[in-house]
Amino acid sequence: MSLIRNITKAVRNEVRDYVLKMVENEKENSQNIKKPETETEAKKEETKPAAEPEIKKEEPKEAAKPAETAAEETVKETVPAKKEKREIISIIEPEFIRFSYKKAAGSITVSSETADLARQLPLEEYALYMKLYFLAAEQKKNYGYWSSSLKRKIGLDDLTAAEFNGIGENLAAYGLLLIERLNETQRTFVLYIPFDEETMVKLEAAKQPEKPKKKFEKPAPAAKKEVKKEAENTTQHEEDIPGKHVEGMEDDEMYKSYKTFVSLEIDKAKMRVGRANFDKIYMEAVKYIDKKYGFKVLSDSDKFKEYLTNYYISAFDIPTFENWKKTKG
Amino acid sequence: MKILMKSLSDIDIKVMLCKTAFEWELIAKKYSELRDEIEAFCASSGLPEDVSAALENTRAALVQKKGELPPLDLSDFFK
Repeated sequence: MSLIRNITKAVRNEVRDYVLKMVENEKENSQNIKKPETETEAKKEETKPAAEPEIKKEEPKEAAKPAETAAEETVKETVPAKKEKREIISIIEPEFIRFSYKKAAGSITVSSETADLARQLPLEEYALYMKLYFLAAEQKKNYGYWSSSLKRKIGLDDLTAAEFNGIGENLAAYGLLLIERLNETQRTFVLYIPFDEETMVKLEAAKQPEKPKKKFEKPAPAAKKEVKKEAENTTQHEEDIPGKHVEGMEDDEMYKSYKTFVSLEIDKAKMRVGRANFDKIYMEAVKYIDKKYGFKVLSDSDKFKEYLTNYYISAFDIPTFENWKKTKG
Repeated sequence: MKILMKSLSDIDIKVMLCKTAFEWELIAKKYSELRDEIEAFCASSGLPEDVSAALENTRAALVQKKGELPPLDLSDFFK
């Protein structure tokens, strides 16, 4: 009897185990029905045709994994792609020209050419471009300092400096902005806006963006010649002492463009030396003009401007009219 | 002479309080006129040393102040 009891117990245990296994298998099968959809998507993303057969063989084993882990893998695959730096192809390769608007902007118009360029930009770059465009119209010039105050001025104070610079660099890569480094701390920008002769006045063509290697190139032979020429003209340069008035050129068109050139060079020098140093130079200029030409010149606004300009020409090594005319040929 | 010297000391004070280039020009004009008046007044006897020194001090203060004011905007000059 005890033998029969033992046999029945063993049969019961076997039956119970069998039923439990059956239940588990059914659960697994029901999960596997949902899984194939995510797996087919994963297969589409994989682009290695040679490796496909092997992967497919292994897939049935992976099919045992829960659907959630498969989903996590697909997310992991997509995240690094976002972090990769996108390659930007420039929309346009313009010649950057510094210009000023002839009149203050009563209303700001966007030319169709500008609109065509701007609408190709991604959202952030588009926003920056348009903000700078409006700023250019407001300040009547398409260039200025690239600084945190600019960021604040155009309402992008929420952005970090790195983000702001990043968007600026992207915009530069698209060819619509030129950022020039003056020194370690100061940078300037020139915004590309299609030139319109009716409303704008050219000041000077900005340096075109160059490859970094070119920055360290030795001076070209032509540049060396220019240096020699300058040395030869030292006697003439001595004549261009601060405050010396250039006469008889007022009506000349050439002289007008020279004045524009000088104005821009002074602006550039101002940015190069910094505000504090420029103030000191101004102070020296005032003292010099008073000492050399007297108080009457100092108190006469027009004369003082004239002599101050000549002082700047000398102090910032701006080519004199004669030298400048020679370079223009 | 006292009146003239009083005017000169007024100019000194105005120079100290001057904040704009426009104000400076007005003060400089007054100084030039006053200097001419003083020189005319002392033409016969010669300019006393203390008056000359006072005039030079005022002039130096004016020059110093002009240098301290924001640099003159030359943008109009180039148009």
